Amino acid sequence: MTDKPKKALVIGGGIAGLTAAWELAQSQVDVELVEKGPFLGGHSISYCCKATDECVKCGACSVDKMLAQVVNEPRIQVSLGATVAKVDQSGKFTASLELAPAYIDPAKCDNCGACFQEFRNTGAIVRGYSKNNSPLYALCPKAAKEVDAAKLAKICPKGAINLEAKATKKKVSADTVIVATGFTPFDAAKKPTYGYGVRDNVITGMELEALIRQKGEVVRPTDLNPPAKTAFIQCVGSRDARLGNLWCSQVCCAYGLRMARKIKYANPEAEVKIFYMDIQSVGKNFPAFYTQCKEQLGFIRNIPVDVYPEEEGRMRISYADEETGARKDEIFDLLVLSIGITPGEDNAKIADMFSLEQDGDGFLVQKGEGVFLAGTAAGPKNIPASMAQAGFAASEALKYIGVTK
Amino acid sequence: MNADKKIIRIATDVLVIGGGTAGVAAANEVAGKGYKVVLTSKEDKVAQETKNGVIADMVAKAEANADIEIMKNTVVAKVMGVPGDFAVTLKTGDKAVERKFGAIVVATGLTTKVLNDAYGLELGPKVISQSQLEALLAQGKLESGKTVAFLVGFGQDGNPLVMERVLDSLTALGKVAETDAYVFVGDIKLAADGLDQLYAQARQEGVIYFKTTDAPKVSVDGDAMCISILDPVLRQQVEVAPDLIVVEEAILADEDNAALAEPLQIEADKNGFLQPDNVHYFPVKSTRLGIFVAGAARDLLSVEQGIQDAGNVALEVKKFLGDGNLEVPSNTAFVDVDKCTVCLTCYRCCPHGAIFWDSRAIIAEAACQGCGICASECPNDAIQLGDYADEAMAKAIQDGQGTSGKSPWIVAFCCKNSGLEAVNMAKTFGYRVPAGLQAIEVPCAGKIDMDYVMDAFVQGADGVMLLTCHNGNCKSDKGALYASWRAAEIKKMLASVGLPEDRLVCASLANNMGRKFSEISVEMERSIKKASS
Repeated sequence: MTDKPKKALVIGGGIAGLTAAWELAQSQVDVELVEKGPFLGGHSISYCCKATDECVKCGACSVDKMLAQVVNEPRIQVSLGATVAKVDQSGKFTASLELAPAYIDPAKCDNCGACFQEFRNTGAIVRGYSKNNSPLYALCPKAAKEVDAAKLAKICPKGAINLEAKATKKKVSADTVIVATGFTPFDAAKKPTYGYGVRDNVITGMELEALIRQKGEVVRPTDLNPPAKTAFIQCVGSRDARLGNLWCSQVCCAYGLRMARKIKYANPEAEVKIFYMDIQSVGKNFPAFYTQCKEQLGFIRNIPVDVYPEEEGRMRISYADEETGARKDEIFDLLVLSIGITPGEDNAKIADMFSLEQDGDGFLVQKGEGVFLAGTAAGPKNIPASMAQAGFAASEALKYIGVTK
Repeated sequence: MNADKKIIRIATDVLVIGGGTAGVAAANEVAGKGYKVVLTSKEDKVAQETKNGVIADMVAKAEANADIEIMKNTVVAKVMGVPGDFAVTLKTGDKAVERKFGAIVVATGLTTKVLNDAYGLELGPKVISQSQLEALLAQGKLESGKTVAFLVGFGQDGNPLVMERVLDSLTALGKVAETDAYVFVGDIKLAADGLDQLYAQARQEGVIYFKTTDAPKVSVDGDAMCISILDPVLRQQVEVAPDLIVVEEAILADEDNAALAEPLQIEADKNGFLQPDNVHYFPVKSTRLGIFVAGAARDLLSVEQGIQDAGNVALEVKKFLGDGNLEVPSNTAFVDVDKCTVCLTCYRCCPHGAIFWDSRAIIAEAACQGCGICASECPNDAIQLGDYADEAMAKAIQDGQGTSGKSPWIVAFCCKNSGLEAVNMAKTFGYRVPAGLQAIEVPCAGKIDMDYVMDAFVQGADGVMLLTCHNGNCKSDKGALYASWRAAEIKKMLASVGLPEDRLVCASLANNMGRKFSEISVEMERSIKKASS
């Protein structure tokens, strides 16, 4: 090909955006990958491996693998801390990007972690989840205001920290756009009776993922001991008419049950109960997996309404017994809320900017030419489904820009 | 290593097996990348009608495309050769032709099975299957004024595809005058786009769902039918006397899959789908290079997902075939002719269908994925693998002895896809790692020879680790399994020479389990130090 290479703008650095960017690059398309956060990987890079003695196909490892491929691909230019401020669609797509200040200079930082060791407890320096992130550390401007600025500025042996760094702008022209802006996790505080945000041992499924990833096992936030009794409440923020969230998030049964089994695997004495409406089946092997779960976990077909505090950070959960219909009370050490997928908080803005539509629930719908959707921006999806849709989006984008060979 | 790149010429025509939506879509997409395509359908037609017009457009497009040859009433009779050079015998009636293909796409469909036995029911005029109901509704033959009861989720766990058929029928029933519909259901499987809305809509239109854990009691006495359950909400016995009972159907992998898996030399899963449930193959790869699986050939997928797969297939076919000049990777296995006794151990253990033989075993360069399982299993050490040849591995162990100098010396053989990543993560994150740890990269845990482990001990290693993927996550399907078998053998040997068992650790780690690696390696170091103090 003697023509100038085509260029694609991929918005969102989660698993869908990473996959789309990588597939486009494999077809010799240059890619500008725009991520609003300080790290690539999106939500799913914080997810843990849920294998017991065998893999349970959650796909968490695929995210790290794809991230490594993307950062090593010269055709992909990554902009971190970047948002799209404006798009001009006359002819090509010309996007105006706003980039957050690079307080840690990627050219100087060698990921030694000295800044993180010193400031981790203040939140001024945060660490990414993947070793393939570079820099692996980021400065949180808000928390950094609360610490000794002189000390922070001098902590880096390589002089990579620059507190005076300024926001920058840049313009990117592209032949096609892939929108992979992801989802917003349901805010569990919107179901106040569960006590999320009030009681320390009430955590979300996503927090449990990150906890297992960081600690290597399931522990209670308050005492860092493995919980003897754990409850999972499913459908938190999903299939809930009162919230107007009339959709199944398609991921929570799978992640909830996988992590519940991981708890049992690490500690066979532990007791784990699942409160649910309907257990959702995803993929051909789910029935076999569910059968194993039924042998090891307690299933209660009832979504509890109230959670009461007990001594030593425990929680009492009231529910209706399936056999008798009578009220039953049970005390748990750890309560995990299986929160769902809700439309990305910027969806209205993105729809407007790229002439997309939103469906009745708020997820994005493809419309018009040259802009393709990938991943949870378009609706609930697990990691493998997000990757499949991202590949498809890349393939459609290639056809649109005429890269066929 | 191997600075001279070796290029081999491969065939670039593509065979697409299966005339369903995914097959037609894949043919269109692959032809769109400039390849000639043969699309086979075992039936007299391609792609069925579905609820939207997309399919008809796709079929017209395929029929009009000069680069797509559609062969109806055609089945695959024989597959010979290797990726990039397949010789496939296609049979149309009594007529057989042999064609050359560089890549093959399998897009077989789904099949259904009526689950009336699970309910102790016989099908008849008043007890019909889901398919029979769909036919009645499509033909407008369902009489008005009937009470229809669905039984779903007790004969099987079920899935969204099963539920979607019921919900679509309920929508259609809503248009038949004065129909009452009841759904007796185990779990309502709604984990697919739009199903929750269909479910809610049917409820609003008066459909009554009874959701129970135990199957309902169904009695048929002549013309009188009765379904009874204990309503979990009302906590009382509820009886419904329907005019028509609709029995659920299981949706299963195509019966033809097993017959295809064998000649294609790809691994089918235990449910009869043609892709192992392994994240490394997602979305459309099979265990063999050059063979791809789309839609329902690989999993319980919807028509829309099958069309998505077609796009992914086109990307993968392009990556594999390119312009027909295939660059052979440096790390493919090589057989030493003088040592090979044609025992065919390698042929049997190769997970990628890359080995064939004449007077000796031959490794197809375009098919080898460089896992090295054959090299480790070969009883005559006749196979070597690029950068990971036995000499190089022995040198790596020796180098560790000379340079480490830290005690205890722990040699960790690490699968580069998982274990090595976890070790590097632990180091980057500053987690504790034994000072005397030496990580040696292998392409797959299946390449960790028993000889390497013994060599490490002989050279003076205090401990040896085998770091593998989890079973079911190995990129070469069985590499982790081979490693665990070998570890068990070596433990026996250690015991016989009086070395404690804990000097050898075989652990499964994902690439993101740096913390876990830190824990197990530090624990190993601790136990070695304790024993020697």
